Amino acid sequence: MTASPTSSSVPASDSEAPVRKPRLGVFKFASCDGCQLSLLDLEDELLAVAGAIDIAYFPEARTAMLPGPYDLSLVEGSISSPEQLEQVQEVRRQSRFLVTIGACATAGGIQALRNWADSAEYLRAVYARPEYIRTLETSTPIAAHVRVDFELRGCPISKEQLLEVITAFAVGRRPNVKDESVCLECKRRGTVCVVVARGMPCLGPVTHAGCGALCPAYDRGCYGCFGPRERANTGSLAGRFREGGAGEPELVRLFRGFTGYAEAFRKESEAHEPQ
Amino acid sequence: MEVEVKAEAKEDARSTVRAIDRDGLERLLGLLREEGYRTIGPTVRDGAIVYDEIESVRDLPAGWKDEQAPGRYRLVRRPDDALFGHVVGPISWKAFLFRPRETLTAAARGEGGALEFRRAPFEPERAAFIGVRSCDLAAIAVQDTVFTGGPYVEPRYAALRRAAFIVAVNCLESGALCFCASMGTGPRARRGFDLALTEIEGRFTVEAGSDAGRRLLERLGAEEARAEDAARVEEGTARCAASMAKRMDPAGLPELLLGNLDHPRWDEVAARCLACANCTMVCPTCFCSTVEETSDLTGSSAGRVRVWGSCFTEEHGKVHGGSYRPEIKDRYRQWLTHKLASWVPQFGTSGCVGCGRCIAWCPVGIDITEEVAAIRASPGPVPDVQGLPLAPVPSPLPAPRAPAASSVEEDLVPRPAAVTAAVRETPDTVTLHVRPPQGFSFRPGQFNMLSLPGVGEVPISISGWDGTAVEHTIRAVGPVTRQLAALRPGQELGMRGPYGSSWPVDEAKGCPAWVVAGGLGLAPLRPLVRELIGRPEDFPEVRLIGGSRTPGDILFVREILGWIGRRNLQTHLTVDRAGPDWRGSIGVVTQLLDDASIEGVYFVCGPEIMMRFAVRRILEAGVPPQRVYVSMERNMKCAAGFCGCCQYGPLFVCKDGPVFRYDSVAYLFERSGF
Amino acid sequence: MSPSEEPSAAKEHKEPKAPVERTYVVDYLTRVEGEGAFYLRVRGRKVEEARLAIFEPPRFFEALLRGRSFAEVPDIVARICGICPVAYQMSSVRAIENAFAMAPAAEVRRLRRLLYCGEWIESHALHVYLLHAPDFLGYESAVEMARDHREAVERGLRMKRTGNELLAVLGGRAIHPVSVRVGGFTKAPALSALWALRADLARGLEEAVETVRWAARLPMPDFRQEYLCVSLSGDEYPLEWGDAIRIGDDAEIPVEDFEKRFKERQRPYSNALQCLLDGRKPYLVGPAARLNHHASKLHPRAAALLGESGLSLPVSNPFESIRVRALELVHAFAEAIDLVDAYRPPERPYAEPAPREATGCGATEAPRGLLFHRYEIGADGLVKEAKIVPPTSQNQARIEADLRKIALDLTALPHDAATRRCEHLIRNYDPCISCATHFLRLEIDRRPDEGDEGGDDGRGGGAGGVAPGEGRP
Repeated sequence: MTASPTSSSVPASDSEAPVRKPRLGVFKFASCDGCQLSLLDLEDELLAVAGAIDIAYFPEARTAMLPGPYDLSLVEGSISSPEQLEQVQEVRRQSRFLVTIGACATAGGIQALRNWADSAEYLRAVYARPEYIRTLETSTPIAAHVRVDFELRGCPISKEQLLEVITAFAVGRRPNVKDESVCLECKRRGTVCVVVARGMPCLGPVTHAGCGALCPAYDRGCYGCFGPRERANTGSLAGRFREGGAGEPELVRLFRGFTGYAEAFRKESEAHEPQ
Repeated sequence: MEVEVKAEAKEDARSTVRAIDRDGLERLLGLLREEGYRTIGPTVRDGAIVYDEIESVRDLPAGWKDEQAPGRYRLVRRPDDALFGHVVGPISWKAFLFRPRETLTAAARGEGGALEFRRAPFEPERAAFIGVRSCDLAAIAVQDTVFTGGPYVEPRYAALRRAAFIVAVNCLESGALCFCASMGTGPRARRGFDLALTEIEGRFTVEAGSDAGRRLLERLGAEEARAEDAARVEEGTARCAASMAKRMDPAGLPELLLGNLDHPRWDEVAARCLACANCTMVCPTCFCSTVEETSDLTGSSAGRVRVWGSCFTEEHGKVHGGSYRPEIKDRYRQWLTHKLASWVPQFGTSGCVGCGRCIAWCPVGIDITEEVAAIRASPGPVPDVQGLPLAPVPSPLPAPRAPAASSVEEDLVPRPAAVTAAVRETPDTVTLHVRPPQGFSFRPGQFNMLSLPGVGEVPISISGWDGTAVEHTIRAVGPVTRQLAALRPGQELGMRGPYGSSWPVDEAKGCPAWVVAGGLGLAPLRPLVRELIGRPEDFPEVRLIGGSRTPGDILFVREILGWIGRRNLQTHLTVDRAGPDWRGSIGVVTQLLDDASIEGVYFVCGPEIMMRFAVRRILEAGVPPQRVYVSMERNMKCAAGFCGCCQYGPLFVCKDGPVFRYDSVAYLFERSGF
Repeated sequence: MSPSEEPSAAKEHKEPKAPVERTYVVDYLTRVEGEGAFYLRVRGRKVEEARLAIFEPPRFFEALLRGRSFAEVPDIVARICGICPVAYQMSSVRAIENAFAMAPAAEVRRLRRLLYCGEWIESHALHVYLLHAPDFLGYESAVEMARDHREAVERGLRMKRTGNELLAVLGGRAIHPVSVRVGGFTKAPALSALWALRADLARGLEEAVETVRWAARLPMPDFRQEYLCVSLSGDEYPLEWGDAIRIGDDAEIPVEDFEKRFKERQRPYSNALQCLLDGRKPYLVGPAARLNHHASKLHPRAAALLGESGLSLPVSNPFESIRVRALELVHAFAEAIDLVDAYRPPERPYAEPAPREATGCGATEAPRGLLFHRYEIGADGLVKEAKIVPPTSQNQARIEADLRKIALDLTALPHDAATRRCEHLIRNYDPCISCATHFLRLEIDRRPDEGDEGGDDGRGGGAGGVAPGEGRP
């Protein structure tokens, strides 16, 4: 998918009429706020971003809420309550280019574990008076409800990738967000493979790159927080882990994590459930 | 197999053999650092032996051995404390020569929008590689050919390579996955090093393989090795070769693999293959790369960064509209056939040096030697070797740029060029007239790389020359082409080129010249048509057959109308659909080829599916394939054969093409997945 | 002054049904993390209702942890909050290690403390400069504030970056770090990587000192409350360690008795649970509670600044929490520097846990206050039951009590100023509704009681007519 510029971003000269700054909206559904916090975590670039684009709607950071439409909307969180079903439609109507940020928005998040559970039972487990709570049976990604123009993966997203998406949008290029395995990042940075050299289960080969291959660099296997990459051959990888001693319940948990509701991982985890 | 080292001639090794102990090795490291080399060698990190900076013999993996199996690698203790008692780990020397990330270009937009492109600052570090195994010497020689073997020379690789000092180590013990002996690349280091060590019972014999090596050996002041030590090197390496359990028979591999592209084994391996790219990352010869555009938020300063890529990624085979290698099977087959088959015509050598890394570091343990053996065990019906492009392809076409100069430095830095005119051809297509840098000349069929800083770079065919400016006809389909198509006179873009082969105009001398274009395919054919109709004495009969979606999509309408009445040109246009006032044909271009002349020379360009049907019809008419030329498109990042993305079987579309004589591509032309 | 004199940006939802009713509605509070609403009804001089309602949709962490391996818990609970993931990781590993009767090695404790310092720095710098300071200086956002106070905002951003870098070196990334495990860390940082931060930490310390002085000069609303403070208690200023919980001035209980004294209750209007002491008493957790209890354990660099901080102990003005956070910034930087200077990479950064069937409790001090976890683990190493009490649930009743008190002062203020004051008051707690915020909608429903002759202009209306989320674009 391709971000497109709000206007010709190759100005011929400075003498041209000033280009209207793109308007940014940041929206939240069910989430931990970590992905939108990544925008504030761009400490070195935050004020430059605020200079180049008009941060029109961002309740976590500013009180004024400028009305839409927004040229670029960053949407965090999954859809998990009846109100959100309507809100997400309105966000879509107000957005020219809608980017979902993070595992909740792109795959339903860790809270999508409820999709395999009895949510009434979940409610009772947490709340003494479940009747006070309004929630949906499922936690689902934004794309299950509205058209999404670009998905930025991660739990949380990488702030460098977030800056890249905003910059690519402003400049009008395709964001450098590669749909390839974590292994490429791992090898480019010279990390020793934890599957081969230590026998650890690692979802890197089937997981979308973008984190910079953090977990193997910290002596642990990837737990898939960027979700499945294209052509994720999860079955072959699961077979390898089974040979390495992983039992079926462990395989279910391995694929059923922060992006467990994404299709490739969902199917793989379900394949290891007791029949 | 002999591997020629091109970047630097290394002399024959067996002049002097000296002997040193560990202190001597320590002194050797010291001398290298004294001469300004960073010393890089094997060291233990994170459960493996990796190449990293070493400051002392103490950093070497004394007493460690690597146990390897498909998809498995473990360090274990040796009974002795040998420093080089291991084989190869996950990192190869390419990490220091063809580095994982390299900034190529820095661009800035100055006052008034003027563009400036600079080669990114590059300081070739002097590095001494300690402990290079024979297989890896061969791998370095392979990459030398890829990056410096011509016609283009990659200056960054060349500089790092020139600055490197190589200390080889002979293998006396084989790893479980080693098969260098069968590939003819080891275990004895024969050439391509400055010094070669053999570790025998805590001492080292040292031989020099170059002047630099000899000088260092003199400074080291080591004693002559005893004759029996020298003999033990030969015996030890021979014993190692004999003990190598794994082997791959390189004989006839190109024919075997290219002749079995539909073998069921590809499906079997695809079911296991993760397409994770680990094999290509650890392979010491794999050289594919991709490019990342970077910029600040306003696009006023930008850069291009080359990063390791892989044919296992979707991006590698991707152009606008889809991927040429969508399935894992396509990707694995691309990798294996390139490595073991296509590599031979491309670079005169196999791409495999038998190091075994791809076997160990495949998370699911796919074994390249087993895959080859499986196909060899049950080859399909005898392949039609006739169509196989197995010898280094002697191009019937003019070589790109000056054919005599076999090595041109290509630093991939564009130059600014100003748009002089922008002509809208159709609602989504524009012809940009661009004033090229001084001294620019091109031949019909070639292309330029056009770029906008921070946005991207794309190959664009040259569609003409207006007397002062070079013309490019661009359809706005992606972010780069959209912005290129929006440029106005006076604005600048980045240009480098021209690249690639051209239409061999003179092949059609005296023959009917048929120009067959589909859609945007007319753009690279227009300069050919102009030349053909401008020389009626040479080309008495030119036929232009053009197909488009609708009359509104026909390119160069005014110019085509102006050609009416040329005595040597007949024009036939057809569209997929049209309104009532369209007087041309409706339907595909194939129908206009029914009377294809057997004496004709055919120049075909358009969408691949259209070319397939058109060529099929032409051949059905009895035209020999040697009289048909096609122009291909593939993903392209560098245009100089470095990035590997545009491979089409054994051919590089960028430097062997884009124009190919049909018989050189016939074998792949009807297939998908390449 | 009658509230009616100040025009409101708020929406009016109903036509007045009685001439004496007025409603003031602010759609939602911003510059906090999470989604909620506040409802305040005042009749004359009587506060009839003060509710902090949290609309953040529930994510059921305690339920979804069941059946997961103990080893996955630190990663999963981190996702409760993107602002303070380390706090969740720290309390969870403490609880699980307690269940397995493991005591972390001294070097693990030091690394955890260092990691936690990174989170305190990141969280406090974020709150002080980007979320809270605009209230004191009259701006709607830090970006707007930066036009007049660029130096201050940049100082805050630099400190925040250093905190984040510290987190990234130890944990791979600032949000949801990957290296925390039961028993220690998956990998210990290289000495060189920590030393590379030394200069930034030293500058951060000086900037934190400057922050204390800057916060001391901020205009401070006059507001006093009697607080029952609750904090973790141990030998050190409480971060990642402490076996007792201090309640008020004199009582201490073991951490495992937390649930005997502190009970959560559910309110019909909120998706978060409220926690009260002995089932009825609101109490305070967080920076002011920590300082009031443990000022003597402050790092000397921070203790030396008490006199300049504008604070006098005990802190009883919640608006002064910004000054306490500034002081804690100094503490966190100073301690981080000491820990970095003393750091030697451990031989192995973790101990291998031996799972067993057991229940364990653990509490640590999140930037916002005490964070209690309890896990019941089965013999198979899977979680049978989980209990998590975040600081914002504990402060929720406290916030409501503060609002009850400030409500009486609000009638003297123009409507906009009154609502801003309420929002400001809530932000004093740095509420994290993702842990317990996002969409904190403030509704003030003021109805004069019978005796109140306060003018009515016919505006106003019933309260609570705004559905959560309404007012979003």
